[in-house]
Amino acid sequence: MNYLLGLIVPIIFLASFLFAIFRKVKIYDSFTQGVKGAIPLILSIFPYIAAVTMLCKLLEVSGLEKALTSWVAPLFSFTGIPEEIAPLVIMKPLSGSGSIAVLTQILERYGVDSYAARCACVAYGTSDTAFYIGAVYFAGLERKKMTTALVISLFSFLISVIFSCFLCRIM
Amino acid sequence: MNALFSLLFAICTLLLLYISPETFLPALLDGASKGAAVCVSLVATYSVWLGLMQVWEDSGVTRAVSKLVKPFAKRLFKTDDEEALKAVSMNMSVNLLGISGAATPYGVKAANLLDKTKNAEYSSAMLFVLNATSLQLIPTSIIAVRVALKSANPTDIVIPTILATLLSTILGIILTKLFIKDEKARDTGRVCMPKRLQTKGAGTR
Repeated sequence: MNYLLGLIVPIIFLASFLFAIFRKVKIYDSFTQGVKGAIPLILSIFPYIAAVTMLCKLLEVSGLEKALTSWVAPLFSFTGIPEEIAPLVIMKPLSGSGSIAVLTQILERYGVDSYAARCACVAYGTSDTAFYIGAVYFAGLERKKMTTALVISLFSFLISVIFSCFLCRIM
Repeated sequence: MNALFSLLFAICTLLLLYISPETFLPALLDGASKGAAVCVSLVATYSVWLGLMQVWEDSGVTRAVSKLVKPFAKRLFKTDDEEALKAVSMNMSVNLLGISGAATPYGVKAANLLDKTKNAEYSSAMLFVLNATSLQLIPTSIIAVRVALKSANPTDIVIPTILATLLSTILGIILTKLFIKDEKARDTGRVCMPKRLQTKGAGTR
């Protein structure tokens, strides 16, 4: 299964290039033309990413993140979410790289195949980092309804985390 | 975003003033360098996927895929803007494949295009929710972590993950439809608008 999953990306590339040759596309010209777009794209999102990562670091250093986590943990266990994965649930919407760090920590501390670890893995996969999407996709675009969209995303995430823990218990 | 950022920033700064003011600037600098590092790794990811995407674009794959997803996207996003629908469709199909790195450039493009359309509030919100609740078919990064930590059965979380992400996405779509008014329903007699955009879209190709 893992071997098969590893095959997907190379096969996508090979198939795309073969098809492009078939359609008589100049692949090298086309590919480099595409790569050229990476720099302006990054330039346009860099300020927003930097601001958010600065804020995340402040949250961590000031202890606010830890305080929030410990306040919310009892609420989590009430809904059937194991307390152990509370830091992940808090971190996931905020930062992709941060949450993969938290996930690894949980897996190491409680064992990869433990109930909490499996819950953590499934919960991690249910959603993407909402604040990152907000910062990157909508960088510089101010829309009134974005707050509503953010709340909806966070709510759906929370419900699906509860569902994940339920699934891990029965599957 | 402005209110949230200012509020959290202010609370953290106040806390740090009380606990250890000397760590304030190092924390900001550390955060900024992390941001820069994220951008550098994003440049690498984008270079790979944008290169491939240009090949798709030139060989007509993009058009074929978005044609498949488009009727669905059109109903979901309630917009007639051809270029925006194309970006949205690609964003959705790449997300499904689990290549989230490749979904981002399309997502950014879609967000900017949707922002200029008539029904921007609704369609932007839908784009946000769809991406934030990400519908993934293969959770590649989680499996990688589990393999690295020597799990006895690294892939046993695949099916629960698909079910859970399906729930979050469907719930997100329903809530968006419920809570965010779509202006298109009230907006009739706007036939000339998409047509103009359509010809403009065809011209740039």
